[in-house]
Amino acid sequence: MTDPATGKAVKKVLPKDEAEEVSAPAPAEEQELVNRARNGDLSAYDELVRRYQERIYATVYHMTSNHEDANDLAQEAFIKAYQALKSFKGGSSFYTWVYRIAVNKTINFLKQRKNRSQMSLNDVDFNAEHDPDLVALISDKTPRREANLSELQEKLNEAMQKLSDSHRLVVTLHDVQGLSHEEIAKIMDCNVGTVRSRLFYARQQLQGYLADYLK
Amino acid sequence: MNPESENFEQLRRLLALKRHEVPPPGYFDRFSRDVIARIKAGERGSEGLAEKFPWLGRILAAFDTRPAIAGAFGAAVCALLVTAIVSSEGTAVSTSISPGIAAANSGNPSLTADATLANANVSASQEMSSTTSSNSSIASLFDQFQLKTQPASFSFPGGN
Repeated sequence: MTDPATGKAVKKVLPKDEAEEVSAPAPAEEQELVNRARNGDLSAYDELVRRYQERIYATVYHMTSNHEDANDLAQEAFIKAYQALKSFKGGSSFYTWVYRIAVNKTINFLKQRKNRSQMSLNDVDFNAEHDPDLVALISDKTPRREANLSELQEKLNEAMQKLSDSHRLVVTLHDVQGLSHEEIAKIMDCNVGTVRSRLFYARQQLQGYLADYLK
Repeated sequence: MNPESENFEQLRRLLALKRHEVPPPGYFDRFSRDVIARIKAGERGSEGLAEKFPWLGRILAAFDTRPAIAGAFGAAVCALLVTAIVSSEGTAVSTSISPGIAAANSGNPSLTADATLANANVSASQEMSSTTSSNSSIASLFDQFQLKTQPASFSFPGGN
């Protein structure tokens, strides 16, 4: 998709309601790809990677706030998943399973990285400047009118990094990526009630950190 | 408590900004290619190990997907190590008290021979302490091991 004004490639961002509907593709087709990949067909695995790369990358990126780390971790998650395909029993979807591998890898990485957190943020795409919600936030309703998108982005990421790993993960999966509580519970291997309570707590924390931008 | 409450509506709108953070253009075109290349490189590198020990590959794969299994395995290894240390200390104490008895009880002929020699050493040292003044007993002691003894003489070129 290309922006007609600038000719720049832009990525379509789904509205929240639409994003909530995002889920795994047809299971039969996916299972076929998984079976072929399990038998060593790398083109089938390439197709699986293409399907989920953006979501896996985005989850890891929003957890780390660092593009290079996200790149390494997302690639390693897919490599590990390929190596472990034989142990994949199909109890959950491949999508949930890969997510779980990526999330575990990221949390382990963050535990090791704890003391050397450094942000390396991606650029905000062209759509953001025209997102009515964001325009509203950085204009009339925001007391700090001088705030621009990149400043807002930095503050938002700083606030996210103040959350614990599990709280940041819930916010990322639900509010940023639009997964349902049930899907998050499967990925995090906990019950839906835990997901809800973590989400509530995380949002409360974020609201406190970002009070200047939310009045 | 309702997490979907209107109180968080503004926050959710703000969080939507994160959806607009995208990697450099063309990044995802290369991503899967890089993953497949790394898989191929890894297959070439670890082909032998994975084929020789397929069970090892399965265990490592299980560790990746279920960290609880990795934790349980780590705990089991620690428990085994502690047990091994404790039991080896007990064995070391009993052999240091009576090495001859322990070795003789083991029934190993070479160890039994070593034990006999050790016992001979023990008895020799006892004998030495009781008869240090007697040269003949010292000689007999060396005779027992068939060692040659010879008086030592030193000469210094400077005369000192």
